[in-house]
Amino acid sequence: MKISGANVVDQPVEKVWEAILDPRVLVATIPGCERLEETGDHQYAMTVNAGVAAIRGTYNGSCSLSDLRERESLVMTLQGSGAPGTVDATVQVRFTEPAPGRTEIAYDADAVVGGMVGGVGQRMLSSVSKRMAGEFFANVGHAISAPPGSASATQAVVASSSDAGAQVFTAPARPGGISSRDDFVKGIAVGAGLVVLGVVIGGIFGRRR
Amino acid sequence: MTTKLMGQAVQRVEDQRFLRGQGRYVDDVALGTATLHAAVLRSPHAHARIVDIDVSEVLDVEGVHAVWTYDDLEGPMAEPLPLLIPHPALTHGRTQYALANGEVNYVGEAVAFVVADDRYVAEDAVDRIRVDYELLPPVVGIPAARAAERLVHDDVPGNVGARLEQNVGDARAAIAAAPHRLALDLTVERSACQPMEGRGTVARWDPDLNRLQAWTSTQTSTGVRAAIAVKLGLDLGQVDVITPDVGGGFGVKINHPWPEELLVPLAAKTLGRTVKFTEDRREHFISTAHERGQEQHIEVGFDDDGRLLGLDVEFWHDHGAYTPYGLIVPIITSTQLLGPYKPRSYRVVFESLYTNTVMVTPYRGAGRPQGCYAMERTMDAIASYLGKDRAEVRAANFIQPDEFPYDHGLVFQDGRELEYDSGDYPASLEKLKTLVGWDEFPQFRAEMAAQGRRVGIGLACYVEGTGVGPYEGAHVHIETSGKVKVATGLTTQGQGHATVFAQLVADELGVRFEDVEVVTGDTRRMPYAVGTFASRAAVMSGSAIHLAAKRAKEKVLKIAADALEVDEKDLQIADGVVSVKGAPPDSVGASIDLGTVSVLSNPLRYAFDEASKAATQFQVGDPGKPPVAEDDEPGLEGRDFYSPERATFASGMHAVIVETDPETAEISILKYAVVHDCGNLINPMIVEGQIHGGVAQGVGGALYERMAYDESGQLLNASFMDFLMPYVTEVPDGIDIDHVETPSPLNPLGIKGAGEAGVIPSAAVFAAAIEDAEGIPITAMPISPSDLFALRRSVGQARDQSDAKERP
Repeated sequence: MKISGANVVDQPVEKVWEAILDPRVLVATIPGCERLEETGDHQYAMTVNAGVAAIRGTYNGSCSLSDLRERESLVMTLQGSGAPGTVDATVQVRFTEPAPGRTEIAYDADAVVGGMVGGVGQRMLSSVSKRMAGEFFANVGHAISAPPGSASATQAVVASSSDAGAQVFTAPARPGGISSRDDFVKGIAVGAGLVVLGVVIGGIFGRRR
Repeated sequence: MTTKLMGQAVQRVEDQRFLRGQGRYVDDVALGTATLHAAVLRSPHAHARIVDIDVSEVLDVEGVHAVWTYDDLEGPMAEPLPLLIPHPALTHGRTQYALANGEVNYVGEAVAFVVADDRYVAEDAVDRIRVDYELLPPVVGIPAARAAERLVHDDVPGNVGARLEQNVGDARAAIAAAPHRLALDLTVERSACQPMEGRGTVARWDPDLNRLQAWTSTQTSTGVRAAIAVKLGLDLGQVDVITPDVGGGFGVKINHPWPEELLVPLAAKTLGRTVKFTEDRREHFISTAHERGQEQHIEVGFDDDGRLLGLDVEFWHDHGAYTPYGLIVPIITSTQLLGPYKPRSYRVVFESLYTNTVMVTPYRGAGRPQGCYAMERTMDAIASYLGKDRAEVRAANFIQPDEFPYDHGLVFQDGRELEYDSGDYPASLEKLKTLVGWDEFPQFRAEMAAQGRRVGIGLACYVEGTGVGPYEGAHVHIETSGKVKVATGLTTQGQGHATVFAQLVADELGVRFEDVEVVTGDTRRMPYAVGTFASRAAVMSGSAIHLAAKRAKEKVLKIAADALEVDEKDLQIADGVVSVKGAPPDSVGASIDLGTVSVLSNPLRYAFDEASKAATQFQVGDPGKPPVAEDDEPGLEGRDFYSPERATFASGMHAVIVETDPETAEISILKYAVVHDCGNLINPMIVEGQIHGGVAQGVGGALYERMAYDESGQLLNASFMDFLMPYVTEVPDGIDIDHVETPSPLNPLGIKGAGEAGVIPSAAVFAAAIEDAEGIPITAMPISPSDLFALRRSVGQARDQSDAKERP
């Protein structure tokens, strides 16, 4: 399954780049992300609660960022599996600045979605994932622009150490869910979309209501 | 005299139960809370190595009784599942394990098995099993299998499970020498049976009797019984298999044993509890079987009249990840392709290929729809090339009525000669042309064209080997009440066996239809049986029941003649009473009830009731001899088996008129006509019901259903949301049916099978009609409105380009 798309964030590219490499931002903005553990340089183990229609459950997986070309591009490799199915995706991500203070993030994802999600939810994935992409980037933008001192999403993130000493980031409780304002998306409780970064993570693993 | 029931449209005795919700299916068995329920962890990947399976999170879940992976299986259970029908050409046959042994080869393959208090707990437990897979590149689709850049099984070179070639004469030389030649490339996609009831198995171990009872939704209870006994290390005599009502089979349930058909009995025996597995719809899509997928290359040489001189067919058959049912489907395609025609010389070669998809086993028609499609598309191409009427070209190639038995010189699926026993194809064609209005169609087309509407007509002919052996048996028991209990071993999945078999018994024994009760698929009642497939139940069990009833009747007449002191030849049986022919109805001593004959047949010592009291005092036979003669046995029973030399060949022809929307490419059916020959009809209403159902399934296969695999081997439409089956709204509103009856000389009733017929010509007949409406060659089926729309565009573009080239 191949999905491409692009989203624009109202933030300069350097800030977006930093934010996207910051696990605190990721754990706070990826829909359904409950836990992110740093297992290496730009490598994470994560737990995401997600679902498409009636097929929902917890995914455990890994995410790594590679081929980093600062403020230009990166490759995200994702693997996840859980009761509802499996996801294996490689996503090429490109960053450009179409206007000063704005960043366009374009992605080409090649994903294998397996298990129940693959057989039953797949036809919803591509439309839903693009919709989710927009939301994720809105969250990223919001996280970056949160005024100092306010209870921004990133500040609510709980950072701790795992037994192995790795950094673990736990998302704060999110009553109502990130997109509770979006009745359609909420209604179908999409999840396993596709995508980049957030889009990838958000799209593939979806949201927790 | 009782009216003969053979040939009568007797109402189905089953329907009252079915229509009132009183059918009893496997899932209706063992409803108590003591029953444990099983769920299966299935592979999410099409091709992967299993590195590790971690069940630690399941072990302490309350309500879980067992969690098994391959490592927990022992002895025969740890061996691959049986390859049921080996064939010398199947040089690389492979079957799966009950639970995957280190590798999975399709999405849906069973990996782990959980037994719990209920299905909810069992599924939750399945969710907690962690499997570490190492992904392998999958092989999906026939082109990928043929390219063989990746292999499904490391030890199967080229992904080729089998290659089989058959030759009659030198087809290639005949084609080379023919005045006209054509070549066609055709494809047919996958579909599946999709019975309303999926698979299901219940098993109970009885420690008091030291035996296992299993209920399973199968097309062969005797086959499953043998498989369970072998795999669990039990004596055959310790296993009973009962097949209650089955909510449709259509072929998929002839494959056996499914992993769950062994794991459930094993769990029942191990845990000492009743265990049930009921497949859900998604599981049915990804873990049972599919069919139909083939690519075909046909070369044909013919004369000016369109007569075949040489036919050379190569095809590639996608059999999925494993080959438990051998080569039955492609062998049927390769032989039944010939239909009612004389090819004069014929070469057919097929490769049966592995792919990382659900395996392929017979689906109603079993390879014939693809064969019919190849042959009939060829006939249409010849007619088009010569500018001749399509019916005329077919008629020029028919085997004639005086040429039977007709030996094609090929080997059929049962290993016997492909020899047609009887038929009358010219008569069928004439009837079909009248029924559909073939000769009037050009006028109809012109009328429709005047209204801006586009219509097309197509026809397709087939011959179908039915009633393959080796045998079926029957047991007929006349009880002292005069009621008749009949048992045959093959199973019933909605065909109306209880009705037609009772008709045969009522006719032969002279009893009332209502007094006959038929039991099928219960190994306790008839342990010797083969199964319900290949349109064989009426031919095989019908013949066996007829013979068994004859045996019982012989005994009735012998005892009654003795009791009434007349010659057997002077007796008749009607409405359950044996009477002396020509005697006045109420004359004393001239008649005896069958029930009384049954009492007399069993010289009891004890008087349980008035009837048996009479028997202890009544003397039949010679007082100087033993009460049960040496060559006799007590009781009024008849048992016999029917085993034919070879299959009997039914035939038929379908025609359809379709309308295609010039804008949307919507395809609608205006008229559907069927002429059908299954020899003598036992019950025309049931035969027509089979035809209706077959046509409906054929409409699905031709216009709607496909298995949408993506390149990674994920089945994307594994639900009824996305897999389109025709509703009543898509099935022709009224199917015109006419019969030709050419009795089979191979069985005592002169009958042929009828179960699969309706579905066989669908792809061929719809392709022909759509091609006729559109003037575009239709070479890939099924065809949806979107497909047709795209085809119009691509053909239009190609024509525009060639027009542009030709312009100076």
